[in-house]
Amino acid sequence: MLEIKNLHVRIAEEDAEILKGIDLTIPKGEVHAIMGPNGSGKSTLGYVIAGKEDYEITEGDVLWNGESILEMAPDERAIAGIFLAFQYPVEIPGVATMTFLRTAINAVRKARGEAELSVADFMRMVREKAKALNVSQEMLKRPLNVGFSGGEKKRMEILQMSMMDPSLCVMDETDSGLDIDAVRIVSEGVNALRGPDRALLVITHYQRLLNYIVPDKVHVLSDGKIVKTGGKELALELEEQGYAEFIAERAA
Amino acid sequence: MNVHVMKTEAEETLGAQFEKLAARLPGTDWLAEERVKAISEFATTGLPNRRVEEWKYTDLRNRFTRAFEPSDGRHVGASWQAIEVALGGLVSFESARVVFVDGAFAPELSNSDDVGDGIEIVALGEALGAPPDWLKQTLGKVNVPSKADATVTLNTAFMTDGVAVRVGDGARGSKPLLIVNVATGEAERSITTRNVVVLGDRSQLTVVEAHLTLDSAATQSNTVTELLVGDDANITHIKMQGENLASQHLGTWMIRLGAHATYRALQVTTGGALTRNQLYLKFAGEGATAHINGAFLQRHKQHCDTTMLVDHAVPGCTSRELFKAVIDDEARGVFQGKIVVQPQAQKTDGKQMSQALLLSQTAEFDAKPELEIFADDVVCGHGATSGQIDEDMLFYLRARGVPEELAKSLLIQAFVGEALDIVEDEGIREALTKVTEHWLARTD
Repeated sequence: MLEIKNLHVRIAEEDAEILKGIDLTIPKGEVHAIMGPNGSGKSTLGYVIAGKEDYEITEGDVLWNGESILEMAPDERAIAGIFLAFQYPVEIPGVATMTFLRTAINAVRKARGEAELSVADFMRMVREKAKALNVSQEMLKRPLNVGFSGGEKKRMEILQMSMMDPSLCVMDETDSGLDIDAVRIVSEGVNALRGPDRALLVITHYQRLLNYIVPDKVHVLSDGKIVKTGGKELALELEEQGYAEFIAERAA
Repeated sequence: MNVHVMKTEAEETLGAQFEKLAARLPGTDWLAEERVKAISEFATTGLPNRRVEEWKYTDLRNRFTRAFEPSDGRHVGASWQAIEVALGGLVSFESARVVFVDGAFAPELSNSDDVGDGIEIVALGEALGAPPDWLKQTLGKVNVPSKADATVTLNTAFMTDGVAVRVGDGARGSKPLLIVNVATGEAERSITTRNVVVLGDRSQLTVVEAHLTLDSAATQSNTVTELLVGDDANITHIKMQGENLASQHLGTWMIRLGAHATYRALQVTTGGALTRNQLYLKFAGEGATAHINGAFLQRHKQHCDTTMLVDHAVPGCTSRELFKAVIDDEARGVFQGKIVVQPQAQKTDGKQMSQALLLSQTAEFDAKPELEIFADDVVCGHGATSGQIDEDMLFYLRARGVPEELAKSLLIQAFVGEALDIVEDEGIREALTKVTEHWLARTD
């Protein structure tokens, strides 16, 4: 279970607060969506869960399986089962995609006390998962994310997610830059990961993705606070009415 | 010319050492005059200091305070096994090899019989006694810097051994030629070697030079390689400097390229308290291409200086340089790259880039790119960057469970790897990758 308690966050060395007291609980087995206008703090929330160092937590806590993760390094969080699918996956020239995948998977397996994957098992796993996500062999041969289109990068994120077997998946704008077929492929990949042992947090600006990844709950984030929580129908309301209501509230 | 009267202790010693040794240095009959000329030239210039522009960042006079006793070449013998370990994986590729221990040819460790048909290899120490014509015509004449350079003059004065290779017209190396220079024992000494490589027209060869120390004694090595490349010839030229952290290494490559020749070079430096790699390359025939890459990985108080002069003396040649420096602790890296385009060298295409990754607050990198262009129809450019490990890349890798140290090491290898990519031979490239991995894993 993910528990976020009264989380206040600002960018290190800047005064402006970005998250202003977030309370959110996602039990395992559930999928929650966070929706909100640009600049509401959605991506910050994803980064803070994953452990990016540019942020300062001024108040509150984030617990995963009952333990605070705020003092954990990003790699320790990954080992604890936390996975962030990036909105903008980073291009890393000179690091081969396959080398990266194998290094990451084996680092996590080793730290979890599992045996490292043999080359043959690893190759089989990559082939199988890549095929399902329409990730070509040619993509796997390139340096990590280098020269990938927006859609290719997102599919690579989901490929990594499905290979690393996380128990908390945070997806930051995974649908942005995807055409409708790609949204469907990616969603199928994500839905395959749904299960009683996983919690999923889907961060998105648009409702479209939620037609495919149907959430148990939808939260609206505006100006660093969760201003409304509802069922999947809330996403449809937002699609019709937009975020004006919440932005207006903020102005008032 | 800088004439200085006050001689340093090292300069005095070098002069005295020459007086004592001159009669016993190889090639007495025909080379003696050259050696005397060289040492008197050195007596005039002395060791270069930082007021000599080419030595601006490496004050040799200040750093070279004592001149070690020249090695007499008598060695107790090094085992190939020990050399393999010291090479840190560099010999994992198939090669013909010529080995020098403490500056003297070690036939028992060498095996160059199957380097390829039409390729002649001799040890310079022996050959200087009765040199073949081609050696006599080449030695000391390949693109020698016009301005007297102390390292080259000292090399001429003191050289004892090295490799002389002639690749006949159209001959091709069947495997890379590995030249290993290894210092052994616990006594400080200086080692001076000279290699001469002559490639005939349309010939092909890969030469790998490795410089190492098996023990902890400080070594002063001075090595010069003269490379004369014929028309349409193709050469890959690699150097690995992995001497111990007490050693001082002065290396010079003097290269002359024929028409439509292809030259691919890579210098990897992990060792040395002080390393100075000089490279003088002259395009002497039209349509030739030179790719010169380098990677130096330095830590503690190591100092590595690469200084090169690429001379476009004829039209239509292409030069590319890519240097990658990884600098940690209080180490310092220097890159001085000069491209000269002579008035007649139209259609020259020259580009140069040096990049440094600084791993500590006290690491330093000095880059001095220079373009001197006297022709009007050319494409030339240079760039220099220095920075730290990219935080976004590091976070991305760590968010996937890769521990910080491993993530950094992957990124450093990726950074250096770009320079290593110039090597087409997969075996050698992997071996050089191992050298960088070895450096990264080292904690001394």
